[in-house]
Amino acid sequence: MGLAIGDAAGWPAARHRSGLLAPWTRRLARELDEFAEEHRLTTLPVPFTLNQPVTALQVGPSDDAEWLAWTARGLRTDRRAAFQALAGAPGLRVRMSVRAALDNLRRGIGPPASGHDNPHFFDDAAAVRAVAFGAAHPGDPARAARAGRADAEITNAEDGVHGAAAMAAAVSVAVVGEPVATVVTAALAELPEHTAIRCAAGAALTAAELAGDAFAAVPLLDAAVQDHVYSYGVAAAQTIPVALALTRASGGALMSAVPAAACLPSLADSAPALTGALTGALTGYAALPGGWRRSARVLPGCCLPCLAGADLAQIADHVAAGRTDRATPPHSDARRMTGHV
Amino acid sequence: MVDRQRARGCLLGLAAGDALGRPAENLAPEEIAGRWGRLTELARGPDGMAVGTDDTEYALFTAFLLETYGSALSSGDVAREWRRNIIAPLDERPGPMRGAGFSELGTVQALRRGLEPPLSGRWQQHGWSDGLAMRAAPYGVFAAGEPAEAARLAGVDGAVSHGGEGVHGGRAVAAAVALAMTGAPPAQVIDAALAVIPADSWTGRTVRASVRIAGARRSAIPVIADERHTADLHEAVVVRHCPWADLAPEAVALAFAAYLLGAGEVEVSVTNAVNLGRDADTTAAIAGALAGAGQGEDGVPERWSARIGPARGTCLRAVAGRDVRDAADALAAAARREHTGPGRAPGARREQPRDQGGWRACRRGI
Repeated sequence: MGLAIGDAAGWPAARHRSGLLAPWTRRLARELDEFAEEHRLTTLPVPFTLNQPVTALQVGPSDDAEWLAWTARGLRTDRRAAFQALAGAPGLRVRMSVRAALDNLRRGIGPPASGHDNPHFFDDAAAVRAVAFGAAHPGDPARAARAGRADAEITNAEDGVHGAAAMAAAVSVAVVGEPVATVVTAALAELPEHTAIRCAAGAALTAAELAGDAFAAVPLLDAAVQDHVYSYGVAAAQTIPVALALTRASGGALMSAVPAAACLPSLADSAPALTGALTGALTGYAALPGGWRRSARVLPGCCLPCLAGADLAQIADHVAAGRTDRATPPHSDARRMTGHV
Repeated sequence: MVDRQRARGCLLGLAAGDALGRPAENLAPEEIAGRWGRLTELARGPDGMAVGTDDTEYALFTAFLLETYGSALSSGDVAREWRRNIIAPLDERPGPMRGAGFSELGTVQALRRGLEPPLSGRWQQHGWSDGLAMRAAPYGVFAAGEPAEAARLAGVDGAVSHGGEGVHGGRAVAAAVALAMTGAPPAQVIDAALAVIPADSWTGRTVRASVRIAGARRSAIPVIADERHTADLHEAVVVRHCPWADLAPEAVALAFAAYLLGAGEVEVSVTNAVNLGRDADTTAAIAGALAGAGQGEDGVPERWSARIGPARGTCLRAVAGRDVRDAADALAAAARREHTGPGRAPGARREQPRDQGGWRACRRGI
């Protein structure tokens, strides 16, 4: 739920969710944007429904929560086969890395080349999915990271894969109640020296330490990881360092980390979600605000239509049950599990 | 020994391809066909001369690096010259880096942060861009007949601004030009490129696909790329769902295919590249550099070379006023100096790289 809350908190969620509306609503928004530019108006056209059902644009989860849920549901499915089954699904909306990977699979190019021969090999699509592998391997960061890497190699390479391994490892220790420092260390262990993601993680953690507080760290994080040459927003080398830094600066408290992540506009698509995954696991489901738990729970199907109406809490429980099967008992763990997925 | 005719042919071919492709950049083949039929004539600027872009200007910058440092060039030298000649003028007179690609802009920001190569090339996300491939031809001119050495030098440069596939693309172009400078047939030229990049790489896969489709490995007759070639090449190497066309694995493969189909003839190779679309100025510049190196200055259509004048310095103020012919002559002379100098071994560092006093010298000298 932490990831879904973070996903819902970032402004791009409304954009993703507006994909459910009739195409003309988005066309009208583009035209109004053009009009505002032409007439030098500062009023930004944001997604609107006009005479469409309004539920789609209420605060709620979007792309990241859906990709996590899809992964969590298919933990026992061969990952390549799972992606191949997606190709051609009606209404599918995907990151550029995933689109390029699906094209590669179609051409007979399998992993790891499908993730490597890919213009967005560096994005955090796999890092979002990796949260599921962290949850499925509680207390076993090495195994979680291995599973996260294997899945990541289908759509990503280099920093995109390291980032996924880092998220899987960090979540795996966070769900068993390890302290924040251990969570961050588990992530860093998956980020090789001399990579951009490792360098940025170091810079971001230093910035957070200087700031001493999540919200106070926002401008320092912007300076530490962002060049603003081109706003991908989803580069793993930027979003994961921010998630780790805010997790540390907040002491693992979702209520202060996620709003801070949402204050970095160019990273607001996935940094709040990744931050929410880590701090949600550390905070625990019961301590999350009820309003957010309710709003973030039901998936809209804006990217993966097959998930429209799916209950994320139930999916999290299924992952937790998988753990129970492997004789990891306690009820409190199941609650923690729900707390982060 | 570097043949001056071929050196000039290489850089004139590069400049002509760059100028011919400029108005077609980022267009689909169908759009190009709709607008020009087949694009074969250089658009003229207000002064009647062709207008080049970043491809020509960054290639002139490479020539400057080689003139200054020769084969002793290190990544640290390249980073220092970026700071002197690209960043310092921007800081002195802030303004846009016109025509620069994301990889160049990203590198400038990384260097401003104080990052050093190779991290400076990995910090930004466009490590795969064709920005090194577009400026790598002079390494092949300088190390004519030595593809491995040309690739090594391109890699030294690329560490500043690129990572992974972008470096492979630059190494491939440098090696190909180095062999083309000997007059080798196109099929061998492309084999030389494949020999310096990993077989298990994106660029390796796209270049091999190009070779399969161009299918001209044994033919000496230039072929104009037809709709079938275009469709097959786009299906095999173009990333359809990416809004940018400056991916090295794609651009280098399209350029090589255009050159193979053109059997190394300058006009057919260059027009093939332009009319295949995508990053047309860069693909045509690469095809032109290869074909020009093989055919020499006389192989570049007179109606094109007559319109290639000194660089305007639109993208890189430091190279304003530099003519590609003079740069080619200077490259040939620099290579000669090294070969006749005492105790020269490939890759050996010279005692004292000639320091020409930073960007002012670059602006004046090159």
